Amino acid sequence: MKTVLFPVAGAVLLMAAGCATAPHVYESELDRAPMSSRIEPQDDRRTVEKMAESLISDAGVLEATGGKRPVLDIEPMKNRSQMIVDMKSITDSVRTRLIRSRLFRFVDRSTAGADIAIMDEQAQLGLTDRRKAIRPGQQSAAEMYLTGSLTDMVTHAGRATDHYYKFTMILKDLRSGEIVWTDEKEIRKVAIRPVF
Amino acid sequence: MKLASLFAAALACALAAGCRTTAGTSVVMNHESGGSVIYEGNTRLHNNVAVTAVTYDKVPAGLNRVNIQLTSLVQRELHLQYRIAWFNAEGMEIDGDGRTYRPLILQGLDAVTVTGVANHPSAVTSRLRLREARAADRRR
Repeated sequence: MKTVLFPVAGAVLLMAAGCATAPHVYESELDRAPMSSRIEPQDDRRTVEKMAESLISDAGVLEATGGKRPVLDIEPMKNRSQMIVDMKSITDSVRTRLIRSRLFRFVDRSTAGADIAIMDEQAQLGLTDRRKAIRPGQQSAAEMYLTGSLTDMVTHAGRATDHYYKFTMILKDLRSGEIVWTDEKEIRKVAIRPVF
Repeated sequence: MKLASLFAAALACALAAGCRTTAGTSVVMNHESGGSVIYEGNTRLHNNVAVTAVTYDKVPAGLNRVNIQLTSLVQRELHLQYRIAWFNAEGMEIDGDGRTYRPLILQGLDAVTVTGVANHPSAVTSRLRLREARAADRRR
C-alpha cells in the first residue's frame, strides 16, 4: 500500500509545483469589466469614442470654417484629478479618430523641431535635389485647437468608495477666440471593500 | 442525502457558470434602404429588453447616424453594454478595433435611446450589438 502511495503523492507534488511557477496569462477583451475604481483602458477608449463622435456630429465646427475641413492642433489636456493619467495619449487617440474620419486636418507643433531639422538637412547637406527640397514657411496654419481637462471627486462611506471622473474637451477658434465645441464624459464607479 | 444535494448544487453552479453566454441582441441597419433586422441570440436578454424604434439621419458633415430605442420589459435595473459597428458597401467592418462597448444601465420599464455616428464617409450599414454587462466579466 505504501509503495503505491509514495509515487502518487510525488506526482501530485510535482504537478502542484508546476502549476505554481507559471502565471496564467491570456488575451483579454479591450472592453473588459472594470478591475478597480480607477480610470482604466476601457474608460479611455469610451471617452475617446464619445468625444470624436460628438465633434464629428457638431454643426458649429463646420459653420466656423465655412464648410471646409478645418486644420486643428492639440494642446495636451490638463489632469486636475488625483490620478496619474497619460492625458496626451487621450488627445492623440481623439486626433487619430478625427483624421481617420476624413473630416479634419491636423498639424503637430510637438514635431516642429524635427521638421526644421529635416528641412535644414535637405538645404545644407547637398544630398537632396534643390528643386525638390522643402523650404520653411509653407506649412498649414492651425485654425483651431483641441484641449480639455480631467477632474475627479472621491467620496468614502463605510466600506464603499465612490469615484466620479469628468473629462471635458473644448475646441477653440484661434482667430475669434471663441469655443466652437465642447463636450463632457462622466464616469462613476463604486468600489466596496470586502469584510474580510 | 446531504452530500448528494451538496454535490448536485455544486454541479448546477458549475454548469450555470460554464453556460454564461456572450451572445446578445443584434440590430442590423441598412442606411440606404432604411430597413433594419433584429437578431436575438440570448433568451434572457430577449425577455428583458426590446428594440422599440430605429431612426436614421445624417450629421451636418454628411456621415450617417442611427438612433435606436431600447425598452426594458422588466421591473429591475439592467446592466448592459452596447456597441455600434459600421460597415462599408461591401459589408466589411470599418475600423472595428476602435468601436467600444459602452455601458448602459436601464431602469425598470424605462426606455433609452442610444446613438451612433459613422466613423467614415463610406459607412452605409451599422450594427448594434447589445449584451449583458456580466458577459464582459468572463475570465478563463
